Amino acid sequence: MTPAEQLKDSVLALASQAHRDDGLTALRKRALKQLQLLPFPEKRHEAWKYTGLNALTAGQLENAAAPVHQSADVPALGDCVIVIGNGFLPEQLPTLPDGLSALLLSDNEAAEVTPDTLFGWLNSASLSGGLLLKTERNRKVAGIVHVVFCNQSDAPCHASNRLQVELAEGSELTLIEHYLGSGPVLANAMTRILAGANSKLTHYRLQSESADSLHIGNLQIDQQRDSRVDSSQLMRGNVLRRNDVHVRMLESGATLAMRGVFIARDKSHIDNHINVEHVAPHCHSDQVYKGIAGEKGRAVFNGRIHIHPYAKGSDAALSNNNMLLSNEAEIDSKPELEIYNDDVKCAHGTTMGKMDPAQLFYLRSRGIDEGTATRMLGTGFVNETLLAMADEAVRDWAISWLGEAL
Amino acid sequence: MLEVRDLHAAVDGKEILKGLTLSVKPGEVHAIMGPNGSGKSTLSNVLAGRDGYEITSGEVLFEGKPVADMETEERARAGIFLAFQYPVEIPGVSNMEFLKASLEAVRAAQGKEPLDAVSLLRRAREACQQVNLDQQFLKRGVNEGFSGGEKKRNEIMQMMLLEPKLALLDETDSGLDIDALQVVAKGVNALRSPDRAIVLVTHYQRLLDYIVPDHVHVLAGGRIIKSGGKELALELEQKGYGWLTGEEESA
Repeated sequence: MTPAEQLKDSVLALASQAHRDDGLTALRKRALKQLQLLPFPEKRHEAWKYTGLNALTAGQLENAAAPVHQSADVPALGDCVIVIGNGFLPEQLPTLPDGLSALLLSDNEAAEVTPDTLFGWLNSASLSGGLLLKTERNRKVAGIVHVVFCNQSDAPCHASNRLQVELAEGSELTLIEHYLGSGPVLANAMTRILAGANSKLTHYRLQSESADSLHIGNLQIDQQRDSRVDSSQLMRGNVLRRNDVHVRMLESGATLAMRGVFIARDKSHIDNHINVEHVAPHCHSDQVYKGIAGEKGRAVFNGRIHIHPYAKGSDAALSNNNMLLSNEAEIDSKPELEIYNDDVKCAHGTTMGKMDPAQLFYLRSRGIDEGTATRMLGTGFVNETLLAMADEAVRDWAISWLGEAL
Repeated sequence: MLEVRDLHAAVDGKEILKGLTLSVKPGEVHAIMGPNGSGKSTLSNVLAGRDGYEITSGEVLFEGKPVADMETEERARAGIFLAFQYPVEIPGVSNMEFLKASLEAVRAAQGKEPLDAVSLLRRAREACQQVNLDQQFLKRGVNEGFSGGEKKRNEIMQMMLLEPKLALLDETDSGLDIDALQVVAKGVNALRSPDRAIVLVTHYQRLLDYIVPDHVHVLAGGRIIKSGGKELALELEQKGYGWLTGEEESA
């Protein structure tokens, strides 16, 4: 048996063990069927070319995470905080702001989910419970909703983190989706966002787990007519981090602004696979991702823009700028454009560079020590992206949290 | 304050300074003039400690200590300030954040109290005013999108805040129009004091109409070939450098 076949067996065993009769039985069953058909990702698959999954041979897929009750330190970023430990929903949810309701995800709402990876299916197949947030039509939810997934374990294990957000027509929401915790636990995160017609979502996906943990996530955003989504995805490296972000602009007039910062230091690994589909005409997407890798850090960025045949008048832009802090660090960046309509505006670009010695000298010649100067330049590189984030509390926290990694 | 003795220095293995000797005492203003390629900028960069500028023999002492033993930031903390010929742009790092980090480091090394946020901002605004820089520049990225003249004035503004013992101005006058030159000169003159030395490295005599030096040196071929008082600058203006170097002036 190859290591991949062994891991696949673990996946199936984990999924089978999760079977029980409750509101998610149909979802688990359907997902288990899919898992039986799908191969375990290997480097020979294009989407996993730069990200090996050897780290998972430590046994994360052999054990489901147990519920945890102690909650880690959660930075005060939101007005309403929901903490989910190792994928288990709290017994009592906090009082929610007007216009927002929180429910247990059930088979009905999860019926149409089609994850992008085997891990997304594993999330469904082994799910203990998922959080469903729904906004009311034409209502603006006051304040920031902070959903914290805290994954914590001393032994290797697997935790399914599940969130579904449904924005009703004309509603507005600011949401932080925050991953933290430590230990050799694999956070398997599946988030699905449905932005209804003319709705507006400001979304932050913060991944601040400690360096010894693992994270494989799938974020799906479906946009309906005239919806506006602004999504910021910030992360530091750990043993293994992989994000598959898939946005579908399904109806005309939708706009998307996505930005990301990923910092891989030491021996950490970060892989972001982004796929933005312009399915309908007259949608606008703008993406800026910035990466930094130092020491033996490794980062992968794959940004795909897919303009469908009927998506005339599409306007899509993607840039990925990277900075390498050492000779042994590596960033593999690949933009992909697939355009099936002539009447579109589409731009993409990638840059790769080292820290500028002239800038470093300038700061040092003013008395600033080399370490601080390096940090300032790294921070400066990512700050223009962070400064575009709308909420000050998140922005300030992110600047200092990412600054620590520089 | 500054003693340069028989300094030989190389850039990328090529010897540029070939036995330069210079002595600068507190309170003095020196002008180092010379044609293109004479080694003026090499001297500034060697003094500030830029990578790739190597002292091959001779020595440079600042207040009795060899600068070769000091890192770039240590030199700055000891009171050496270089106003750059080509100040670099640093997008994403605000001028204010930069000034704060710089002042904190330099003041701490000199045993001075750190400035609180309010006094820092007040001083920075005053310094901006003195060099006719709009205060909006404090919020912008360091030199980001500044014009040539604004960059030079930003250098002088930093110098005013850092109050160095030794200020080296590397062709700060190059490319400036007369109005901007007067602003820069006013800033430099305001800093003249009995315990501070200023070294002006320049290609043009014009700067010396506004900042009157105590000593003028002519640098050519990596050595100082003539020194004199301020009248030497006027002589150079009339006769050109060829008179001293024995060559046709290329500039």
